[in-house]
Amino acid sequence: MEQSDRDLIGRLARGDREALGPLMERHHRRLYRLALSYLRDPDEALDAVQEVFVKAYQNAARWDGGSEVGPWLTRIAVNHSIDRYRRGRRRRAAETPLDEEAGDRDARLTTGDPSPERRVLGREVGERIASALRSLPERQRSVFVLRHYDELALEDIARVLDMSLGTVKSSLHRAVHRMRERLEGLR
Amino acid sequence: MRPRRHRGWRQRTSLLALGALEGREADEARAHVDGCAGCAEELARLRQALELAALDPVRTAEPPLGMPALLARVNARLDAAAAARPRLAWRTAWLLPAGALAAGVATLLLLRPAPTPPAPPAAPTGVAETQVAVPEDMLGRMERTVTRAQTARYLDEAQDLLLTVAAPRPCARQSRRVDVEQEAERSRELLARRALLVGTSGEDVASARPVLRDVEYVLREVASLPSCARERDLQAIQREVSRRNLLMKIDLMTRELKG
Repeated sequence: MEQSDRDLIGRLARGDREALGPLMERHHRRLYRLALSYLRDPDEALDAVQEVFVKAYQNAARWDGGSEVGPWLTRIAVNHSIDRYRRGRRRRAAETPLDEEAGDRDARLTTGDPSPERRVLGREVGERIASALRSLPERQRSVFVLRHYDELALEDIARVLDMSLGTVKSSLHRAVHRMRERLEGLR
Repeated sequence: MRPRRHRGWRQRTSLLALGALEGREADEARAHVDGCAGCAEELARLRQALELAALDPVRTAEPPLGMPALLARVNARLDAAAAARPRLAWRTAWLLPAGALAAGVATLLLLRPAPTPPAPPAAPTGVAETQVAVPEDMLGRMERTVTRAQTARYLDEAQDLLLTVAAPRPCARQSRRVDVEQEAERSRELLARRALLVGTSGEDVASARPVLRDVEYVLREVASLPSCARERDLQAIQREVSRRNLLMKIDLMTRELKG
């Protein structure tokens, strides 16, 4: 019988690393996309996912049994991605020029979509979204990412980010308007 | 309608566009939009923008590594952390006996008769001496050295592969094709090795990260080739290697990493 996330975390808390496999199988794609939406770099996003599961194992014994595992992992992923984004901002600026590197990164976003036209449009949209997301204040970026990429309900976003529901709503409203302005005229 | 109330509706319109409202709240917002031309226009504009945003390839992106490799990386990180933990515990454990020893010496000094010469300073025990002699920064340096050496070796081997790819053999099975079976297989092995490199996200090899990314990109291209590949596909990879000055970059980086 398939074990629940709670069971798996319980096994991790007892030091059973075998439980990592099924837990990662269930959540790694979602967390990868979430980290990628923040970091816009496949390597960085993969490193972030790796760290989420390292932290999950190390902190499993301290996990609050009353809370859901998915939002807990999401919270670790969001915090880690924000932290990584902040640390990497200066370094990225000092490395390769952004436009050149962004092209390479977007070319590596494998989606399985066979249509070249859609891929080109997706790449253009991806670049514009990356730029628009960078322009958002951190709180707005977080709520937008959790809604748009992870499709979390507003109450779940509030729980994950430890914000009031009102703050989530107003931040999301501002974020979506800013995104609209930035995407205007794209197609 | 009073402007203050309308601001609240604008927020609900945004949430409606995002599909974030449910039940009664969603029904009320829709009813308002039906009776407000400006709101309907705004809702249409937001929906259009969000439809575009839904094309972002990130929403359907697949991790560049399969689950087994990712799991191996997580286990490698946990092994490294587990190996470091006893060292730390062991190194801090000396503080307890050393503290007790210091307290004992202090007590002896306080209780000693006034005219007698002061007690000789307590010699540290052999254990404490050994423990103090392994400083944290030395262990950190050793770990950094290992990471840099592994990265340099990986880049060295990737460079060898790229040089081999530049001089392909004709394919015996198909004319006007080149045999890259071994190179594709070797690329897959190197990509698996890259996945297991631990610590490349840290600051120790930060300067190598752009080269590592370029190498990984090219290795993926080689790994995806069939065993009898078209010459033009191989030429495209060679052009990419040349455009990125990859061989020279690898050369400089391995030298830097080897110090």
